[in-house]
Amino acid sequence: MTQTEILAKMQPVFDDVFLDDVKVTPELSANDVEEWDSLLQISLVLGVEKAFGVRFRVGEVEATKNLGEFADLIQRRMAETAKA
Amino acid sequence: MPGDIEIAVPERTVAKSGIAGVRSLLAARDAAFWPALREATHSARDFSEVLSLATMRKKALRAGIPVEIDRTIRLAIVGGSSLYPLNELVEQMIGAASTTGWWQAEIFKGDFDNYISEILDPESELYAFRPDVLFLIPSSQRCVYQGALTDAREQQHAAAIGTADDLLALAATAHDRTGAEIIVANYLPAPDFDPGPYRVRSLGTDWSFRKMVNLELGLRVPSYVHICDAEFLATQRGVTNCYDARAWFETKQLYAPDFAVDIAREVATIVRSLHKASKKVLALDLDNTLWGGVIGDDGMTGIEIGGTHARGEAFKQFQLAIAQLAKRGVVLAVCSKNDYKNAAEPFEKHPEMVLRLTDIASFQANWEPKSENLKRIADELNLGLDSIVFVDDNPAEIEIVNQFVPQIETILLGPDPAQYAAQLLNCRHFEPRSITSDDLQRGEQYQQQAARAQAMGSSGTDMASYLASLDMHAVLSEFTPVDVPRISQLINKSNQFNVTTRRRSEAEVEALIADPAHYAYSVRLADRFGDNGLISVVIVAVEGATATVDTWLMSCRVLKRQMEDEVVNEMVRLAALRGADEIIGHYLPTEKNSMVRDLFPRMGFSQVEENPERTTWRLDVNTFTPRPTHIQIDRRAYEN
Repeated sequence: MTQTEILAKMQPVFDDVFLDDVKVTPELSANDVEEWDSLLQISLVLGVEKAFGVRFRVGEVEATKNLGEFADLIQRRMAETAKA
Repeated sequence: MPGDIEIAVPERTVAKSGIAGVRSLLAARDAAFWPALREATHSARDFSEVLSLATMRKKALRAGIPVEIDRTIRLAIVGGSSLYPLNELVEQMIGAASTTGWWQAEIFKGDFDNYISEILDPESELYAFRPDVLFLIPSSQRCVYQGALTDAREQQHAAAIGTADDLLALAATAHDRTGAEIIVANYLPAPDFDPGPYRVRSLGTDWSFRKMVNLELGLRVPSYVHICDAEFLATQRGVTNCYDARAWFETKQLYAPDFAVDIAREVATIVRSLHKASKKVLALDLDNTLWGGVIGDDGMTGIEIGGTHARGEAFKQFQLAIAQLAKRGVVLAVCSKNDYKNAAEPFEKHPEMVLRLTDIASFQANWEPKSENLKRIADELNLGLDSIVFVDDNPAEIEIVNQFVPQIETILLGPDPAQYAAQLLNCRHFEPRSITSDDLQRGEQYQQQAARAQAMGSSGTDMASYLASLDMHAVLSEFTPVDVPRISQLINKSNQFNVTTRRRSEAEVEALIADPAHYAYSVRLADRFGDNGLISVVIVAVEGATATVDTWLMSCRVLKRQMEDEVVNEMVRLAALRGADEIIGHYLPTEKNSMVRDLFPRMGFSQVEENPERTTWRLDVNTFTPRPTHIQIDRRAYEN
């Protein structure tokens, strides 16, 4: 899956969590969306893990700066899952 | 077949349920949003689902979809972990505890692992918040046996008791300073294999020590402490699913996200039980509910119950589960479409039946709609419709009851009789806050009431000789600690014979024992058919020469027995002892208490004032003549 494909697959997760139009782009981060608090962050991570069938390791989601980096992280974890 | 009569099912008003349904009602700004939100919140099982519902709730409030906030709860949460976002889950779950609107939870969150100082420091923000309820989640790190695994068992056991007592001492401090009800989460079971099977051979292992602390905690709680049984909930879900190491390191969450939902739901259930009574009556269908098959068609030899068939065993197990509830004080009724003769026969003659006619307080078997028969059951037992839970295997019957008597909770059984017993035992409608010895006798008491009704019917004599024949004895007592659970139970569930319908928590009732500004007493009544238990509660506030009736309620079981006359005699006697020369009574009308609209005038009070919110009545203490009754008073309140 390319970054673009991953971002596209993230969109429904965002729709479910925000219940509002939040357009998923590589540059987007929590600072850009007023409602995006730590509560919704938890929901987003859980939703993404479910949607992509991955499990992130401690501290690594926090370390991503925007959705582009987050998508890359998803890609790495997916590649691992595929190998296993 | 008689058991499967075609019924026109009315259309449901709330057609859509589930998250998607709630979401579309939100988009449509439909008032049906709130009932749908409550239902979806009740059934939500995972964290994301509950948070998504909470987000919808916030949006609905902002959008102004109207809702009645019918109760506000001030809840403080303190503990050894981060309490965010648990607070969000708890707020959502408490909200949905409302029957017709939404309960607003105002929540104070303690700081991470700061609960001991928050509780010990009288100046802490916790106390400034003035909670009604405090939820305390202690730290598992403080529940560890410090000695060696090989220490003497007595020493390890004493340490477990000490850990439980420390926690209860914190609860006591918080309760003394706030009067709040305290919910304490007990400790999660240890999830790891280490040290292997040896774990059960010493009380010093984490596995055994936590279990022992939890046991000692539960056995020692005072009436104002309620255990949020995290150990049980974790066992039910699977212990390893309740931990999430990553969430602990990242955000100091004690509970895995989905398990936090179980905890939040349990807290809401406890909060709800502080304000709403549990159900009293289990009304049962017969064919394919208590036995397999249709008695009218299959006959005594054809129905499946007990014996050597698997299906028959399952139905018998269901009856055993029902009998277990009945033994604890749940009153049983039958509501069946059948000819009475057919319906009663298995109860009388079938050797494998667990339930017998004497176990059933009200037996309605006829061809009237079940909604009508359920009303009849409520009338016969002198209880409100909202105290009934109705069980049936037929969705159409359940639907019709939901539609026409929505106050009644329903359980739709099926499709597998093997699951019936578990369905009943997990329905959560019959959970007592505490079990009193009165509860254990309740079934008997209702049968005695039926016997009394028959005595009256058959003798056909006048009321006075009937009452005299009952040989009634009453004991009037000031409130005592041992009566507090039963008194608060009555205060929180009596709706009909209740002049003010003022609710009080156990803690508030307990406080009245030593309150010099009030006198308060309870009444027990026995007669030749048996002991009715504690059936009436009175609380009177005295200020100068005026005594004001704060609370006066009575169990409807003992209506028309002149008990209220004796209650007034005592009320006046105690008012005079306290130096009051008048008693003021208020009747605050509700939907359910019209039976006491004329109580004060019937008892000789004269009217002072009348408006739609209340009527006010006055009785002169000095000119009062005690009212004659057929009740022998064995003891009076505040007398040794």
